[in-house]
Parts: sequence; C-alpha cells; structure tokens
Amino acid sequence: MTGSTIDNRHDLIEYLHRAMVLEHATIPPYLTAYYSIHPTTNSDAAHIIRVVAVEEMLHLTLAANVLNAIGGKPRLTRHGFVPSYPTYLPDGERDFTVDLRPFSHRAVETFCKIERPAMAPRGSARLLPVSDLARPSLVTSPVDEGLRFYSIGEFYAEIIEGLETVAAKEPDLFRGDPARQVGPEHFYSGGGSAIRVTDLASARRALRFIADQGEGFDHGIHDEDGELAHYYRFRQLQLGRYYQVDDDPEHPTGPELGIDWKAVYDVKVSARLSDYPVDSELAAVARDFNADYWEFLGLLDDAFNGEPSLLQEAIWHMFRLRDGINRLVRNPLPGSDGLHAAPTFEMPVGVESTPDVSLTAGGAVEAVTR
Amino acid sequence: MYVKFPEGAAKRTDAAAAADVLYDAVIVGGGVAGAIIASRLGAAGKSVLILEAGPGEDITLKGYEDYLDRFYSATSKDNQSPYPVVANAPMPRGTDARRIFPGVPNTLGYIVQNGPLATDTTYTRVLGGTTMHWEGKTPRMLPEDFRTRTLYGEGADWPLTYDDLAPYYNEAEFELGVSADVEDQSYLGVAFDEDYVFPMKGLPLSYLDRMVAKDVDGMPVELDGVRRELHVRPWPQARNGIPNPAYNGGQGYVPRGAVSTYQVEVGGRCQGNNNCVPLCPVQAKYNAGKTLAVALQSPHVHMVAQAVAYKVHVDHDTGRVTEIEYRHYDQPDGTGFTTRRARGRLFVLAANAVENPRLMLASGLNSSSGLMGRNFMDHAYLLAWALLPEVAGTFRGTNCTGGITDLRGGGFRSRQAAFAIDIHNDGWGWARGAPMTDLVDLVDAGGRYGESLRQGLVDRVSRQLQLAFMIEVPANPSNRVTVDPAYTDHLGNMRPILSYDLPDYTMRGVAYARQLSKQIFARLGAEDHTQYDPDFWGYAVYGGEGYEIRGGNHLAGTHMMGGDPKTSVVDANQRSWDHRNLYLVGGGSMPTVSTSNVTLTIAALCLRSTHAMLAQLASESAPIKITATGATQDRPQEVAL
Repeated sequence: MTGSTIDNRHDLIEYLHRAMVLEHATIPPYLTAYYSIHPTTNSDAAHIIRVVAVEEMLHLTLAANVLNAIGGKPRLTRHGFVPSYPTYLPDGERDFTVDLRPFSHRAVETFCKIERPAMAPRGSARLLPVSDLARPSLVTSPVDEGLRFYSIGEFYAEIIEGLETVAAKEPDLFRGDPARQVGPEHFYSGGGSAIRVTDLASARRALRFIADQGEGFDHGIHDEDGELAHYYRFRQLQLGRYYQVDDDPEHPTGPELGIDWKAVYDVKVSARLSDYPVDSELAAVARDFNADYWEFLGLLDDAFNGEPSLLQEAIWHMFRLRDGINRLVRNPLPGSDGLHAAPTFEMPVGVESTPDVSLTAGGAVEAVTR
Repeated sequence: MYVKFPEGAAKRTDAAAAADVLYDAVIVGGGVAGAIIASRLGAAGKSVLILEAGPGEDITLKGYEDYLDRFYSATSKDNQSPYPVVANAPMPRGTDARRIFPGVPNTLGYIVQNGPLATDTTYTRVLGGTTMHWEGKTPRMLPEDFRTRTLYGEGADWPLTYDDLAPYYNEAEFELGVSADVEDQSYLGVAFDEDYVFPMKGLPLSYLDRMVAKDVDGMPVELDGVRRELHVRPWPQARNGIPNPAYNGGQGYVPRGAVSTYQVEVGGRCQGNNNCVPLCPVQAKYNAGKTLAVALQSPHVHMVAQAVAYKVHVDHDTGRVTEIEYRHYDQPDGTGFTTRRARGRLFVLAANAVENPRLMLASGLNSSSGLMGRNFMDHAYLLAWALLPEVAGTFRGTNCTGGITDLRGGGFRSRQAAFAIDIHNDGWGWARGAPMTDLVDLVDAGGRYGESLRQGLVDRVSRQLQLAFMIEVPANPSNRVTVDPAYTDHLGNMRPILSYDLPDYTMRGVAYARQLSKQIFARLGAEDHTQYDPDFWGYAVYGGEGYEIRGGNHLAGTHMMGGDPKTSVVDANQRSWDHRNLYLVGGGSMPTVSTSNVTLTIAALCLRSTHAMLAQLASESAPIKITATGATQDRPQEVAL
C-alpha cells in the first residue's frame, strides 16, 4: 500500500493537466468511429458513440474548470496533448492500445475497455506499485510514474482526496479567477451541464460527475440521475438491447438495437499523413483537417483561459470538423487496398517543437511503436 | 435531458378493452393541445384516452430520423415532406394548392377548396401534430388583440383579457421551452410579471438580421397620423437556447431534448440548422411529442392511435356527448378498420381549427349559434424579396430569428390590418424556392459546375433578403369549414370543405405592406426583385395591383369563444355552450388571430382550460344528493374561474 501522491498545489495541477489529456485522448477514436458510419444508417450505434464523445467534451471542460479553480492554466496546444495513435491510454494502461478505427466489433471492444469499471481490490489501496498489480492498470500517477491507479475512477478519487488534503493546508487553494469558469450557459449537452468550480465542494462534484458518468463508479449501470454510464452504453452495442432502470448488467431488457456492421466506411486504422500520396488532393484535405483541429484546440485554450463565451464559436468549428472528416472518410485512400481515408489527428500543426517541461512531467502521452 | 417515451405506449391500450372503460376524459388529437391537456389531467390522477388519427408507432429517435431521411431525399421540401402519406388520415399539402375558378372547387388535396381565394395552408396528422413542422415562433398576443371590436370596430372581442391569459402564457412558455429576453418582448402593451424571465435566454439575431437592422433601426414610418420607428427585434422561439439561471426565482430551467423510448442525448441546444420547417434535425425545437411522452408516463393516460374520430354522439335530451365513434384502421394504407367507441365524462376535441368543426359538422352538430365552422381565420402572408448590396450571410441560422413588429398594433387597425414582418434567414426559399432554384438555374442556364458552381451559388444566395408580412385576417362568418357527403376520404370520413376570401381590411394591409417593403429595400440599397405572378394560385387583386397571397397554417376561429351562446360556440373555458361535457380546444376558439403565431396562445388557452375541466370533473363526480322530494339535483353549476 502506498500513501497519497498529492502533497501540494503543484501536484494537483499536474494531475489535472493529465486529466485533461486523458479526457481528450478518447475523443478522436470516438469521432473516427462515429463518422465512419454511413450517413442515415446505424442510428442506434451512431447516437451511442456520439453521446459518449459529447460527454467526454464535458469532462474535458470540467477538468479545465477544476484546474482553473486552483489557479492553473489549461493548455490544449502543448506538445503531446494529443496522442499519436495508436496509443496506450494517456495514463499507462498496458493491456490494450487505442487506435483510430472505423465502427466495428473491435472498436466497440476497445471503447468498453476505455470505459470499463474497475474497483480497487482493497478499500484503501487506491494507488499501487506497478509490480503489485495482477492485471494492467489504467492510470499512472503523474508525480510518480512508478505508481498506477487501478482505474480512471480511482485516479479521480485520488485527486479529490488530494484536493481535500491540500485545501486543509492551503486555505487559498481555490484562488482561480471565477470569471474563467465555464458555466452551464456556455456548455450543455443532454448528459449534464458544466459545473462552476469555486471551492472544494464544487470541485468534488465536478470530478465525481466525470467518474460516475464514465464507468458508473459504484452506483451500478445508471447514475443517480438515471443516466447510463458510458461503459454500459457501449455494452448495449455488444448485447443488442438497451438497458432499462434496474436491469442486470448482463441482461438488458429495453428495446432492441439495430446494428448494420457493414454500413460503414472502412477507413484505414490509425491513418497517418505519410499514408497519403504526397501532393494528392486527399492529402491536402487531411492536412487541412489537422490544421482545423489544431485551430479548434486553440479556440478551446482561449475559452478555458478567461473567455468562456468563446465556446459558442466552437459550434461552427465543430461543423467544419465534421465536414472535414466526411470529406476524408468517403474517399478511398490510394494505395491502401480500398481502405478509406481518415483524419490523422497529428498535432501540433505548423508550430515549432519546443517541448514543454511541465507537460513532459505531467501530461505527455506515451506512443506505442507501430 | 431526453424525454422518455414509455416503450409500447403507442400500442399498449387495447381499443376493444378501452371501449368498456368510462374515462374521465376522451381527447381527440395528439398534438400540442391534446398533449398538454392529457399531461395535466393525467398528473391530476384522471383517466384519459387520447385518440390519434396518425400512425401508432412509439416516438423514438430512430423514427424521428426516418422523418429526416424522408425529408432529405424528397424532391419537394414542403411542410409535409418528412411525413408519410397515410390514406386513412390524409393531410392537406401546400403543393395541392391550385387557382380556383368560380363554381369549380379544387378537390385535388384533402381539403376541398371552394375559394374564391385558394390557400396552401396545412396541418400535420402525426403524433405531435403540426408542431412537428412548425417554425417555433412564440409571440404572445397583444393586449389590444383581445378587444379589437371595441377598440377598432373589427373582428370580435375575446371573453378574456391579456391579463387573464398572462399566467398561462408563463406556463406555456415553460411547457414549450421558450428562449427570449423580456426586454425584447415588452412592447405595444405586452407586459410581464415583475422578475419574470423566459426559461432560456433569447436566441441571437442572425448576421442577416443585424445587416438589416443597421439601416432599418430608427426608420420613421407615419401611419394614420402617428409617427413611429421601425426596429429589428428578436422573435421568442420554442427552441432550446441557453437556460436562464434566473428562471423560476433562481431555480433555473432544464431544457427538454429529444424524445425516445431509450436513453438518447440530442436536442440540447439549437445548432442553427436551416430547416426548422419542416423538421428540426436535432429536436432542439419543441414538438408536442415532448409533452405527449410525459403525459403517457402516467398510467392513467391511454392512447389509441390509427383512430380517426368519425362521429360525436349526443344525448338529445341533455345535449351531453355520450361517446365518440371512431374508425380504428389496421394498416396506414389498408382498407380494413374496426368501428369503436370511446366513452368519457368529458370529451375534448383537440384536432385543430379545421378538423374540430369538420367532425362536429359531420356529426350533424351545427351548434345552436350556427357558427360551427364559421369565422375560419389564418394569416395572409405577403412576401417581398430583394438582393442586398453586399453579402449578408443568408442561409445561416435558423429559418427566422428576427423581425419587425412595430406595426402589430395601433390606431390604424380601425382602417387596415396589422402585420408582423419576418426576416427570413432562408433567403428567397419561400417565395422562389431558393437555393434549389438557384442551383438549377446555375447548372442549366449558366452551365456551371465544380468550384465555379459552388462559388456561384454562394454569390447568389448570400445576398438574398426575403421579408414575410404576416397579415391579420379578421373573423368573417363566410370564411368557413363545411362538409358534404359527396366528399369523403379513404375511411369514409367527410372531408373538410373550405370557403375562403380576404376582406378589403386585410387587402389594405397587404397593399400597405408592399409599399413598406419598397421603402425598406430602398433604405437598405437593396435591389427589389419582387414580382407577383398573375398565374399564381393565390393571386389576389386589390386597388388595381396584384399580389401573391400565401397561407400561414395558423388556423383559428372556427368554434369561436365568447360570452354569449348566441354569438359564440364555446365559452372562455373552451367549453361548448350546447354540449356541457364537451370542450373544443385550440385555435378554433380564438376570436382574433391578430399578428401572433397561434401555438403559444393555443397552449395557454389549453392550460387554462384544464383547470375548468378538473373543476367540472370534481363537481360532476361528487355523489349526487337526493333531495327530499326524491328528484335528483340539476347538473352542477358552471365552473367559474
């Protein structure tokens, strides 16, 4: 058993940067699968993926709020913020990698792994030495790479406990400018709204919300508001039925889902710009998409750094991103045996590489060799 | 949050078994009026049976997307294009409108049109009714709209005032989820409770609106000796925007998203798609399915769909309705049906201002006032279109975000009709079929393709400005809905026959509107392209000038409310004077249509009426006391509110 890894505000800031990296890292795989689905087909599957993607955007925003509340500065345009796919999940999980895949059984399997619930084997032993784990862990500690969490939920539990510890020692922990908070008027989706974080209680609420919505925490398949956790949303795609309240996790009893696994553009898995024929029109579209995505991250940076109302602009940015992905996935990628093109999410775009020290310590994503 | 439609609710009620149930209320129609009344009665523990003429499938996100697919792939993008044609519950369709020649009615569409003026007015017979295709504008009526006879000698006075209805407007704005700001909507006497805020903050004006406002704001207009200034003002709209944290004394408001039997997350916030009409792609726009789904969550609320009311049966001694006979069809397009009856303590006709009188008249119930079906009203729409001198981003935003409302009221109404003006974000779509017609023209006449075609289209449509004048039509007994056994539909129901013309009062408003449009275009430096086609089905000549007049789908007036049974069909509670356990609800009860889109007022009237219904149920289901002489007491007294 290991004690708390969070001792001061700096540690908390590192953890929250990592939380943002983690929340964002799931979005490109979800978007790729979502947009690979032929338009007007697979309504059930498309909506399930879409909801989770949208809620990850909310989680990213909530993590930014907590970070802002303690005087941190969110930065989505740092090196390494966007992983290079395929990747291990930003936090050190080693039993699977995350690819950018078309909608498929394999993609859903990965999504379930990303969102799977896990409970610490022993009540107080949230954080374990890597060697102590029988199965691979999901999350590493940003302050001690040798330590890993048993699940994302516990990663957040660690942060909550850290906030409590540090708040007790540093009365001015929540020193951030409240004007930097993203509130419900700036962001809402069906699955909850942005929580302004100004103190320990609201920070706790925001982080618990993320954990609950992802894996169900310890409330079962639905959260307190009756909302289905992400893991179970994806399970519905494997089990072929929607859950209803009080269902056994293995036996949903709601309406049947209709899935057509073939009504999908078979995009190249984790495509890279280097897969595109040099100087082709398609390569230009792929580069343009990456530039648009990079610009979009820049917009979020500004929104999370004092201009929350800029999130309204994010709406048309996202339409543009959608159009960009659609242009790619509908076209075969020359020289790839009929596989279709796909966005590569290779970031950064058009900026000099100046590694950010605090990021390499706190938020960098570890790529896997291809 | 999504709105859960209880799985199987569309089919869970067995029509045969329901025939043996005496419901507290039988409601005809699953649109906004029926849904609101069902939800409130159900919440009060009353048993309710809804009869819905449209196909009976649960409302799901997938079903909604079938509507969308049908719309996307349809050649004609008219109001009904998303909705399947069901022979057993036919719908009028704008594309059926034809010029009418004297003595030759147009029988092409579902509504038989006698004219003399043709109309393309429509309503939608699916679960959720016409709120499926409505645009979502929700202006309140002006205080003066309730007293136009007294103030201006036109139309009819209401037995209600604005103040009577105001609390129900508040409630209706909650139910429909209205986005607006009080400071924008307080004009021409419209007042709000102190501290009132709309559930959601006002939606922003489009770039086009702001371009128009730049030159039009402050434009002086002299009418009837009174000088006033025009201003571009945002419309209140029943589409999800930013929830106002100050709503309900700081409780805030949770927007209602999409409807489905399973958990979905769409419909949170309007994204500015440009096809509110005929269908919001993301369900950010209110439709009555949202209310209906909540209503059906009550175990007391039953629904039988594919059930077309055929006849209202009345006890001729008491005048009370005993049952509604309906035809329950097996398949949307099959010929098989079963005749069923529905029994209740109260009956509510919530079909709409054409279907309500159609059913009553088909049942031989003309009303003692003789006014059933008379005083049909709609808005007369006059369009004017021009090209702005610079690109104004037309086709961005929802169909309509802003307009000019300064001529909705005033002393001039003793001479000519009032109107509201919409600035259309969809360019010349309504008038001339943009952008499709522009596309066809660029390809066929211009030989454009590729990049040049794309740029050409942008160049053409993004300067388009279309103003739509929504002009009031006062009540006129000869504008009416009738029936004739010679005209029946697939199920043997008599079809509505519409006789319709515009009075000079309205035409004076039309002529003035056209003049004003020229002045506005001149002020904007816009090139006026308005040309009215003498062959257009709704071509009307006044003062030597011809105009294209279109319908507004804002049906009203056919069972007008009033304080006197001799001059009205229903009372202020929408309760029939002749049949005391019958309510005819909706636009048909409105004595004036004035210059408000009707849905919000329909919702407010129905919310108000539910109180009368509950009071009537409470009094009539109380044990009947036997007097000393052994005679039963009279029926309970009228319910006063």
